Parts: sequence; C-alpha cells; structure tokens
Amino acid sequence: MASGRGSRRTTESEATVQYVQLDGLVVLNIIKHCEEVGSELSQGVLLGLLIGNCLEITNCFPFPRNALDDPDFDEMQYQMEMMRHLRYVNIDHLHVGWYQSTFFGGFVSKALMDSQFQYQHSLDESVVLIYDPLKTTQGYLSVKAYRLTPQTMAIYETMDFSPENIKQTKMAFSKIFDEVPVVIKNSHLVNALCLEIEEIGPPTEKYSFLDLATSSVLEKNIKLLMDTVDELSQDSNKFHNHYRQVAKQNQAKQQYVQKRHQENAARTAKGEVALPEEDINKLFKPLLPPSRLDNLLLSGTNCFYLACFLAWL
Amino acid sequence: MASRFFGAGSSSSEVESSSDEEEQVQKAPGRTFQFSDEEEDTKRIVRSAKDKRFDELETIIKQLRNHKKIKDMSKILESFDELTRAMKKANNVVEKEGMPRFYVRCLVELETFINECWADKDGRKSMSKNNSKSLSTMRQKVRKYNKDFEKDITTYMESPDADVPDEVEGSESEESADEASFSKDVTAKASDFQKAEAEESSDDDFWGSSDESSSSSSTDDEAYGENLAAKFLKKTGPGTEKREKRKREKKELKVRPEEEEVENDGQGEWTVVTPGAGMVRERPKMFTKDQEITVEAVNKKLHEILAARGKKGTDRSEQIELLTELMKISTAHNLGNGMLVKILFSLIMSVYDYNPTVSLCMKPEMWQKLLDLVQDLLQILEGNPAIVINEKVMEELENLESTTEEFRVRGCVLSMIERLDEEFTKMLQACDAHSTEYIDRLKDEKMVCCIIEKLYRYLESRVTSADLCRVYMLRINHMYYKFDYTTIARPADEKAAEKPLEKEAEEKPPEKEAEAEGSSGEETKITEDTQQVEVVVDPSVLMDELCKYIYAKDITDRIRTRAILCHIYHHALHNRWFEARDLMMMSHLQDTIQHSDIPIQILYNRTMVQLGLCAFRHASIQDAHNCLLDIQSGGRAKELLAQGLLMQRQQERRPEQEKLEKQRQMPFHMHINLELLECVYLVSAMLLEIPYMAAHEFDPRRRMISKSFHHQLKIAERQTLTGPPESMREHVVAASKAMKVGDWQQCTEYILSDKMNVKVWNLFPETDRVREMIRQRIQEESLRTYLFTYSSVYDSLSLVTLAEQFRMERGLVHSVISKMIINEELMASMDEPSQSVVMHRTEPSRLQSLALQLSEKISILVENNEKLLEIKQGILPGTQRRDGGYQQRGYGGDKWADGGQRNYQGGNRRGGHQQSGGYRNRNQQDGGGGGGGGGGYQRRNQDGGQGYGRRN
Repeated sequence: MASGRGSRRTTESEATVQYVQLDGLVVLNIIKHCEEVGSELSQGVLLGLLIGNCLEITNCFPFPRNALDDPDFDEMQYQMEMMRHLRYVNIDHLHVGWYQSTFFGGFVSKALMDSQFQYQHSLDESVVLIYDPLKTTQGYLSVKAYRLTPQTMAIYETMDFSPENIKQTKMAFSKIFDEVPVVIKNSHLVNALCLEIEEIGPPTEKYSFLDLATSSVLEKNIKLLMDTVDELSQDSNKFHNHYRQVAKQNQAKQQYVQKRHQENAARTAKGEVALPEEDINKLFKPLLPPSRLDNLLLSGTNCFYLACFLAWL
Repeated sequence: MASRFFGAGSSSSEVESSSDEEEQVQKAPGRTFQFSDEEEDTKRIVRSAKDKRFDELETIIKQLRNHKKIKDMSKILESFDELTRAMKKANNVVEKEGMPRFYVRCLVELETFINECWADKDGRKSMSKNNSKSLSTMRQKVRKYNKDFEKDITTYMESPDADVPDEVEGSESEESADEASFSKDVTAKASDFQKAEAEESSDDDFWGSSDESSSSSSTDDEAYGENLAAKFLKKTGPGTEKREKRKREKKELKVRPEEEEVENDGQGEWTVVTPGAGMVRERPKMFTKDQEITVEAVNKKLHEILAARGKKGTDRSEQIELLTELMKISTAHNLGNGMLVKILFSLIMSVYDYNPTVSLCMKPEMWQKLLDLVQDLLQILEGNPAIVINEKVMEELENLESTTEEFRVRGCVLSMIERLDEEFTKMLQACDAHSTEYIDRLKDEKMVCCIIEKLYRYLESRVTSADLCRVYMLRINHMYYKFDYTTIARPADEKAAEKPLEKEAEEKPPEKEAEAEGSSGEETKITEDTQQVEVVVDPSVLMDELCKYIYAKDITDRIRTRAILCHIYHHALHNRWFEARDLMMMSHLQDTIQHSDIPIQILYNRTMVQLGLCAFRHASIQDAHNCLLDIQSGGRAKELLAQGLLMQRQQERRPEQEKLEKQRQMPFHMHINLELLECVYLVSAMLLEIPYMAAHEFDPRRRMISKSFHHQLKIAERQTLTGPPESMREHVVAASKAMKVGDWQQCTEYILSDKMNVKVWNLFPETDRVREMIRQRIQEESLRTYLFTYSSVYDSLSLVTLAEQFRMERGLVHSVISKMIINEELMASMDEPSQSVVMHRTEPSRLQSLALQLSEKISILVENNEKLLEIKQGILPGTQRRDGGYQQRGYGGDKWADGGQRNYQGGNRRGGHQQSGGYRNRNQQDGGGGGGGGGGYQRRNQDGGQGYGRRN
C-alpha cells in the first residue's frame, strides 16, 4: 500500500506534535468503517500514545452509526466502555483524537471545529484524521492529520469572531488548521508482504490524467466549489452591507453631534445653559458586526476543495 | 271528539257527500269548546285540595312510569323524590281520605321494578355510571320509604289490581279506572276513552289534561308514552298524519278565541286541513255557497292566502293547493285573463317558495308543475297583448277586470323566468350526473330554452333595452357551450367564405342540435330536435347578434363581461381561433378579471381553457400553453372550472362555504373534460419543454417552462420500474422520454396510441386533423431536440438523411434548421451544394461550461471583495453615483493603475484579499495590453457561452 500522500511539510510552529505515526491497522480499520457506512459520514475515536514529538496512533474504534437517533445512548459511556474493554486486551487506551471521513475535502465545518476544539482543549496532543474514501476507490490513500493552530484555539476560546479581533490576531482561513505530517508504520512482516505483493502484482504506478473518471469527479468538485463560492459572496455581501450601515450611522452621528454643537453655541451666545452632552451610544446603538466565522470556514472549505481539485489534475 | 275527527279521515268518509262533511266539520270545533269549558269548570269547583294533590301525584306517577320504561334511573330518582315531597304535601288530605290506592300501587311497582333491575346484573353493568349510582340510591330509599307504608302495601298485595304493568293498554285503562275511583268528572272522560282506541285514548288524555299540565314536554312524551320509539319510527302511515293534523288543530284551538269574529272565510281556511278531504269538497269553503264570485272577492281571497306566505306556520304545499283551487274557481267563473295571470303569478311564486331553503332543489313533480304553469302564463300573455305586466305597476292601480282598458298586473315575468333558469341549474346540480335522472332532467332544457325563447318574443317590443339584455343573456347562457355540429360538416376550404355559408345554413331544414358540449363529447348522445325553434338560425350568427346587441345596449358591466366571455367561448369552441383571440385581446379582461365576482371568474376560466384548446387545434402550441398554464399549474383545474369540489388538505371547509361552492358548480353537461384539458396542456408543454431542455442543458439560468410537466417527469423518474404506460400522463411522460432522444416515431406512437385516442383525442370534433397536426409538431420538435442533443457528435449532417429519418419534407427540415441557425440555437451553417449542415463544434463540454459558471461566480465574489476593500481604504460606500464611478474606473485606464496598486498592498495585509486583488490586477493589465485571452473572463461573462464559442 502506498504511503500517505500528505505532504511532509513541516510546521513552523513549535507544536507538541511534530508528526503522526499511524499504524497500518488503524488505516485499515478506518477504511473498513467507511466502507461499511457508505456515503454517510463516519466518525470514530483514535487511540494511541504521545512519545516525544511523535503521536503514535495504534488503534481506533468507530462511533456507532445511529447514535443520534437513540435518545438513551450515552456517547461518553460508550467510549469509556470501549476503552476499558481495549485496556483488558492490553491495547493502548489513551484517547488521542478522532477521525472523520470526507468527500472532496469539504470537511471544514463548525461542528468539526467545535469538536476538535473540545479535544484539543482537554487533550493537548489531539489530532483529527481526515480520510477521503473517494480517493481510495481510485486507488490512492488520502489520510491527513490536522490540528487547530494556537491562534484558532485562542480565538475559539473567546468565541470572538468580530472583524477587529480577527484583524488583531491576524487570523486567516489558511491559519485555521495545522497539517501534521502522517507516517504510516507497519511491522516488518507486513512490510515484507507489501514488497512481495508489489513484485507479484502489476506496476502500481498510476497516471491519473489518463483516468476517464476524473471528469465526473471534477465536475462534482466544481459544483461544490460553486456552491461555496456563492455562499462566500453572499457572506461578503452581508459584510459589505454591514459596513454601509455603519457608515450611514456614523454620518447620522456626526450630523447629530454637529447639530448639538451649533445649538449649544447659540445657547451660550444667548446666555442660556447649554444642553447636556448625552451618551451618543444610547441614541445610536452600535451595530453588531457580523461574525466572520462563516467567512473563515467557507474560505477554508474553498481552499480544501481547490486542493482536492488540484490533486486530480 | 278526536276519534270522530279521525273517523272522518278514513277512506269511507270520502264517499260521503260534501254537505254532510261540512256539517260535521262545522260542529266539531264547537264541541271541542264545550269540552274544554267543562274542564275549566271542574277545575274551579270540584278540584278542591284533594283533587289538586291527587292530580299532582298522578302526574308525577305518570312521569315516573315513563322514566321506568326507558330505564332512566336518575330521572326515576328525581321523580321519586318529587313524589315523596308531593305526598308529604298531600298528607292531611290522605289522612282524611285514606291512602290513595294508585299511590300504593305505584310504590309497589317501583319496588318490584327496582328489584328487577338490581337482579339483572348484566343490565346493571351496562348501565351508565350515573344510572347505576341512582339505582343503588333508589333501592335504599324505596326500601326505607316503603316501610312506612307497609300496612297499605300488604293490603294492596292481598288484592292487587289485575294488571300487567308492562302492557300499555292495560295500564292505561287501569289508570283511568283508578282515576275513576276518586274523580267523578274524569270518570266520564275515562269511559269515553275506553270506547276509543287505546292509543288514541292516551292521546286524548293528554289533550284533556294539556290545559292543566304545566310542562308541555312531559305531555308530549306522554302522548307517545307507550312506546317512545314509535314517535320516531311511525313516520309514515295514518298515525303520524293524524298526529300532525291534531297538532294543527290544537293550534287552531288556541287561535280560535281571537278568530271568533272572523267570518266564514277564516273558518274555510282551516277546513282545508280536514284529512283526506278532496279539493272538490273544499271549494265551498273558499266562498260560501251563496257568495257571488267576483273579481274583488277572488282578489280578496288571494290576498288572504298570500298574507300567510312566508309565515312560520304556513303549510307551503297547502298554499299551492289553495291557489290552484282559486285559479280553478276563477277560470270556472270566467273572471278574465287579468285575474288569471295574477293568480298564476302568485302560484308560481308559491311554487318557488315551496322549498324552505334556497340551496335545496325542487322536487321533480314541483318542477314539472312549475314548467307547466310558466308555459301557461306565457301562453296567456302571448295570447292577450292587452295585459301589461310590470313591476312598476302599483298594487292599487292594478286593473284586473275592466275589459275596456288594458289589464295591468304587478309582477315581473323576466325575473320569474330567471328564477326558473336558476332552479333548473339547481336541479341539475343536485342530480347524479351519471344517472338516467340527469338525462331526464336535461330533456327539460329544451323546454327551458323554449320558454326563454317565448319570453324573448313576448318582451321584445315591450321592455327597455336593459331588460332585453337580460333576456339575451339568458339565451346566451343556454347557447354558448353547445357545439354546432354543422360547422364540421362544412368543407374545410369553404370555411374561408363563411358569410355566404351562413345564409345557406339558415335555409337548411331543421337540423339536429347537439345538447352536449362539443369538446367534452360526453353528452353527444343526447341530441334533440329543435322543432320548437321555428327558424333554425345558425347559432354562430345568432350568438353574434345577441352579443353585439348586448355590447351596444348593456349598461351594467356584468352582463357585457359575461356576454364577451360567452362569445369568446363560442368562437373558441367552433374553432374560430383568430376571432376568439382578437376578442379576448380587445376586451382586456385579463387585467380586470380578478376584480369581478366569482361566477364570472369561473366563466373566464372556462373561456380561457376553451381558448387554449382552440389554440392547440390550430397548432399554436405556445398560445395553448399560455392559456392553459394558469388553470393547470395549481393542480386545481377542477375547482377553478367549478366542476367539482376538491378535498382540502389543510383546513376543513366551513359548511356555509361548502354550500356556496356547491351552488357555483357547473351542471355536468357543461363540463369541460379535464383529462382532455390536462393532456392538451401536457402535450403542449412537452412540445415546448423538451427542445428547450435539450438546448439549455448546461444553462444555469434555465427556467422551467412548465412546472407541472416537470413534476410529472419527476414522478416518472422516481419509479423504480417503468412499465408500459397506462394513464394519459404516463403516455405523455413516455412520449417525452422518446422525444428527448429524438425518437419521433416512438413519441408519436405514445401520444397517438389507441388508448389516448379513446381517452382524449376522439373528444375533439375534428380528430383526424388534430392528430395530423400533433404528428407534424412532434416531428419538428423531435428534429430540433435531436439536433440540440447530438450536434456535438456530428461534424456534418445530411439534410436528406435527416428528412428521411424524420419523414419530413426536405424543405421543412431546411427551414427548421435555418430557423435554429438564425436564432443562434445551433452553431452550424448550411452547405447548399452538398445539402448538409456543417457543425461548428462550438458547444463547450460539460466541464468547460461548469468552469465558465464558476468563473462567473468567482468574478461576482471578487467584485464583492473589492467593494469591501474600498471601505478599508476609507472610501465610503456611497451612493449609486459613486458606484457608477467605480464601474467606469474599473474599465478605464489611468485611475485604475493607482487603485490597483493600493489593492495590491491591501492584499498583502490580508491573505483573503491577496488573491483577489492580484487576480484583478493582472486582469486589468492584460486588458490594457490589448484584450488578449486573459481579459476573457470579464468579457466572457458578458456575452456568455455563445460568445465563447464564437471566439474560438
């Protein structure tokens, strides 16, 4: 099996996790889970251990599929149970993150951010593995590990997505996630088997540009991209409108202040008592700036779509 | 007395001479009076404390007995309490007189009854909670209470009255026997009863005591006391009749004192109710024997009868009878036509009044009667031009007898006949449309038309033009929906010269006129001769005349609107598409129709549908589609055309609303076939939509032409297994699928299959012509679809092959393709020498077109972001003017360079804008450089896909 295609770009930040070492077992487990679930979203828990800068993921188990439909189902309980059982059979039982399947790279969402934030908040070394089952059908493996950047964490903690805050913290969609390089590690026996298979089987070299199926995938990808672009432009429109309104309000404010000034000047000239300066914010309630989170997310999604798109070309 | 009354009602009495009967009846009321007088006397004198108390007890016991019969325990308990209370009151009387036997008997009976009930465990279980509770309380109470009377009870038990308490007659007579033991005056009555029938005696009993008893309801109960069910069951048969009569008499009895002074006439009025008494015997009651029957007398009588009209207690059928009688009298005495007309008028009015509610329709007999009467009336009026009928004639100025002057009668024939028309519609609405009854009723249409015709002839010279418009409208209403089959008979080419033909048609011998509406064809079988119409006029000409008169003379807008719509309908029905269309266009009704009342809106809908069908027959598919779109799109065609009520899913209709809606329904013979309508709509939608879909497969701005057509397609797609088409819709959907791939043969087969012929196309009068038209259209549109869909596969196409493939003439293929090229729907050119179409290979691939769309969207996004950036730079998002300025700058030269640089800097600051700014900048530079490929994005957006194609 080919090793992860994820780029081995090293992150500049001094993260606790420098790279993720995936066990072959974990990869197969995830693939199996996604196959079973089909086109639905599949999620699960990663187990492993942090050794130095390397996060070793040695096992995983899926979340049950219809958990949401069952009101009696307690997720935490289930996880604890699973971990206890695994502990009994002497498997790593430390919770180090979670995985999720995705199609065309459109995984960036508020829900994912939320849960990853929760994970990273409680366990610093947590990662989220994103697996693309579509790629697997084409014969490639796409497993990527992401972590929220410290910046994102900081902003997320305050939940302040106002434009000013974003500006100050120099947040951008490209800085939401840190990609952590993934290394798949197999036992020597498995490696030997792989080598053997490679020799027996046909050349594994793939020429994706000869693939006839790409066009339909690309079409789909473009459609998705169009949708997000639409949303994004709607969002920026909203933002623009907000600024217009703010500008209008400012104008009104200025006019008001000016008028008050003139009046007061006239009064003092007549010898009357000047009108008191009222709190201008009471008269003109400051407009609530729209949250930029959507914008960030959409831009992020777009970015990933594009990455995905480019991978096909 | 009642028994004798009923005796008179028996069949034997009918043979009796009239004078005898009269005498009898005359006597009867007097006797009644005597009787009641007697009773009043007893009340005053004999009824001392004892009688009063005992009577009270007795009534309670009677009630108790009734309650026992229906086993209403709680009521029994109530009555028992009442009884004990009454007994306490009567205590000193009892002391004097001794224990009344009937009271003891009641107690014994009650106890046995309760014990029985108690023993019946099943019965107890099935009792309501309230009842069973009452039963147990009763049981205890009675037991306790009876202890006080133990002695009396034992003495009673030793010699109980020989009776079976359940048997009604026995108990009743028993009771009277009991009564006899303490009340002398009742004895007389009771003995009287004994002679009479048991049932009646009990009734009489209630009669006698009705004065005394306070609550009428209880007595009423008593009247049917022996068997409550009988009250409801015995609806038919003499018993009920008698009862009703008796009630009426009772009323009369009450009224009597005031009416004492009223002379014979008044009495005559009630004699009418004498059961079974024939009309002949009644006559002397109308007028006393020796009274001279003059116009005044009859008039007076008429007024008397009419005075009762609309009052609550008036028997409407009786009124009709009375008036008929009066009419007979007046004809017998030859009182002249004036009187006759007046009476006829009243008679017709009372026939209209016969139904208590407006919404109900008449009974068939009544209707027949009405028709006869109206015809009589018109006959008289026609025969006597001297009679003036007008609603403006004051009652005082009426002239009914003078022969020298003209008769003047108050009334309005026109509204009367309008009402007749309404009644006719109501009758038809009430009938089941698929029954023979409906056909029977429909046969009357001829009569109605005849009457209207007569009315028209009668009124033609007499009334104002406004009234005449109403008459015309009536005629139009009966005409506009009828298809004149003679139009088909005419050869098609002669149609152009219609004028001379119409004259010809007038000379034709009486032809058969179809009752049915042409397109629906449902009633085609019901044909009738129109011998009544002496001169057979071409309906179209007549229609024209009538409508034009209304257009010219009408002052109320309503009639004119109706007339226009009917006219259009008639035109459309008879395939005169251009006339119909032009009239519709000229009338401008589309703009104002939503402000008119609902019947007119319904007519408008009907007209639009008919217009659409006509357009379809004339191969104006686009027009047909537009006409039918409004009706068909909501799926409420049935409701909009008033051809049936739709089930409403959200909320229940209020009953009044439903009634209203039912009143608006069209009679079945005027219906437009809904399946035909839908089919025509779907086929036109298919002919328009399929090529359009093929042409704009990737167009993001593609709009659905017909939503309901798409809906049908979607439904078909959802099906897992598609069998051979069954219904009309399935046929159309299957045909659409065939058309999508340009398979015109399959498509035609589906649309013009046998099933469809039977279901739909045969309903058109000129079936073959329509079918031929459809076939041609399908060929053309299939060709277009084929070219749209597969042009990308071809380099060139031979016209000859195409013509062969689509079985079309080469010229036609040529023209179709040329049209497509001209409209820039097809990127191709004609190569004349080789007779072929050369494709230009310009259609972008799917991915390419998607990419184009994406670029369009991205450019919108970029623009938005740039606007945001301007705010950043401190330029206030200003007015429209400034925005315009921005636009100019955007495409201009010098200023932009400056702005662009700033853009770029701004972009550096924030990642999000870096790309957009840069992109824009580059674009601009390229554009400045001379409009190379890069500048394409903007321009491409402007001229869309075709531009893209052309550039290549």
